[in-house]
Amino acid sequence: MKATARVEPVRRTAGTKRRAPSSRKRASRDEQALRSRLADLERELAGRRDGRDREGLLVTLARVADAGVRSLSWATLARLQRALYFAWHSEDTDDFGADPRFTETVEPLLEFLYAVWWRVETTGIEHVPAEGPGLVVGNHSGVLPYDAMMVQLAVRHEHPSRRACRMLALDMFALLPGLAPALAKSGSVRANPDNAERLLRRGELLGVFPEGVKGVGKHFRDRYKLARFGRGGFVRIALRTGTPLVPCAVVGAEEIHPVVAKADWVGRPFGLPYFPLTPTFPWMGPLGLVPLPTKWSIDFGDPLDLGEYGPDAADDPILVNRLSEQVRSTIQRMIDGRLARRRSIWLG
Amino acid sequence: MARLAVTGTASYLGGRILRRLVESRGADSVVAVDIASPPATLHGVRHRMVDLTLPGADRRLVEVFEEEGIGAVVHAAFFTSPRRDAAYAHELESIGTLHLAAASAAAGVKHLLVRSFTAVYGARGQNPGFLTEDDLPDSRSKLTWVTDKVEAEEHAFSFSRRYPGLGVTVLRFATLMGPGVHTFYTRIFSKRVVPVVLGYDPLVQLLHPLDAVGAVEAALAKGPSGVLNIVPSDSITLLTALHLSDKLTVAVPHPVAYPVSDVWWGMGVGEAPGRFVDYARFPFVADGEKARRLLGFTPRFSSRDALSAFLEYRYPESARRARRAEEAEA
Repeated sequence: MKATARVEPVRRTAGTKRRAPSSRKRASRDEQALRSRLADLERELAGRRDGRDREGLLVTLARVADAGVRSLSWATLARLQRALYFAWHSEDTDDFGADPRFTETVEPLLEFLYAVWWRVETTGIEHVPAEGPGLVVGNHSGVLPYDAMMVQLAVRHEHPSRRACRMLALDMFALLPGLAPALAKSGSVRANPDNAERLLRRGELLGVFPEGVKGVGKHFRDRYKLARFGRGGFVRIALRTGTPLVPCAVVGAEEIHPVVAKADWVGRPFGLPYFPLTPTFPWMGPLGLVPLPTKWSIDFGDPLDLGEYGPDAADDPILVNRLSEQVRSTIQRMIDGRLARRRSIWLG
Repeated sequence: MARLAVTGTASYLGGRILRRLVESRGADSVVAVDIASPPATLHGVRHRMVDLTLPGADRRLVEVFEEEGIGAVVHAAFFTSPRRDAAYAHELESIGTLHLAAASAAAGVKHLLVRSFTAVYGARGQNPGFLTEDDLPDSRSKLTWVTDKVEAEEHAFSFSRRYPGLGVTVLRFATLMGPGVHTFYTRIFSKRVVPVVLGYDPLVQLLHPLDAVGAVEAALAKGPSGVLNIVPSDSITLLTALHLSDKLTVAVPHPVAYPVSDVWWGMGVGEAPGRFVDYARFPFVADGEKARRLLGFTPRFSSRDALSAFLEYRYPESARRARRAEEAEA
């Protein structure tokens, strides 16, 4: 049996993406584009080579079935487990842990939620910049970060450049088993100024929900009332990096898990900041985890260009607060407009 | 020319550093300082026996440094694996570095280079994607393995502040992985069945020892430069690394993993105490940008290269089989 061809050291020029671009200002944009194209090609090539080396899941299963259950050994089990793991994980992730094959694998499920379950209607996608840095700012709700996944999918599917939108995830989600690696592999990073600045300087598109925990665990009676926008950290980073802010209003997500009461003391021993009680959770067990099939809309608004203020404006707390409030009221207005037009929670 | 002293030469990395320095500068310009003698293959290297844990170690070190005319010290006497006798580890790492820094200051040493670990940042869910040297090490860690190292770094810097003639470089190396490396980490990678934490798959950085030694050389050439992370060119997720090495993984829920590994550690079976489960749950990926900028140090190996090199060393027969299979294919 052909065993591990992988043990041979593989010379890859990994880390090409992280290498600092040339200091020459002129033509640095072209060079950067070429570099990123080169990195993509190298990644693809590495992927192909890995694919050739590795037996697929089906082949491994067939081999195990052929060998018979009685001849099962640790090594066979390990091989089976490896095939299972690499069936939906790439051998390479990017430097923040985003895994293209994982994204590909879970996409059908997300597409189902997007197109069938919540029938998401997306408008204003043209306001999302086609290239260069951008910060999508949205309203958070829905107990679990479904809204983030849907915004991510909306940008990837509806935007002409098909670009990836990396989400800034709450620390709390980065602690939860299962969710933590899933978010990291689908391109999310922890909501942390260092991470955001690093990615924006690289020209990536980010999504952020400045309401944070207060938004995602919102009580049902507070639905569509935006909570405080943190301390304006997202504005400071946008100012420092000269990134345009794209307001984004998600309507429909606030009703998928109607939080009628909170029993935070239940979650505290498990490190959860809140423990929601909904009409179905936890009374109906795992069924209570199924989100309600409301009708969603995701609206992107006119981008707010902060270039005129310059990077030093980030140290001006009054301006930061004013801009943060401006974005918050824009999103609130977008939500209110959408709600006024909405006739039914289920049908839109 | 002033000579160079290397401590902890009986350790893997210390031995490698000594060997490289002997090759590049000649046996006469390097002095090995350790309680055990350096590898017998290194002819002509002067060995001075000093026990860093003894109360008078600093006086003895001053004597040695002055007799030998030492200009720079590479301090590599640290435990890469957690030890059961925490008291001894504390004496060697924290107090030993205190003695060494005091002696270096007294003997007029210009440059003290201390080996450290990126693990001192602590593995936490809140860690940023890349820890920089501006992030504080986890001085309140519940692991004495970590706090001893943090204290050692602080001792070195406190002497450098008081005696401006003494410059300090602290190299925080990522987890070492490669041919010849024997740590609790490689022992885990040598098992057939490896427990992992259910629902977590953090990124890890595996540093090839050649890169580590290269960074020490670059830092010696450059001179005192403060704290520097020395990391491989990319990271790999823990489960990818384990599956690439054909391990059977058993997922354990984290509320169970901590107490069980503590019990195992207490029974003398486990490789590390329970708090180490953090390092299998959360990332502690460090950024090597500062080393690139200040030292011009670029790692030659990725985490995957380091792992492949280790596996080839640890499982030569399966590497041979793979090579034969490839030849047959070609």
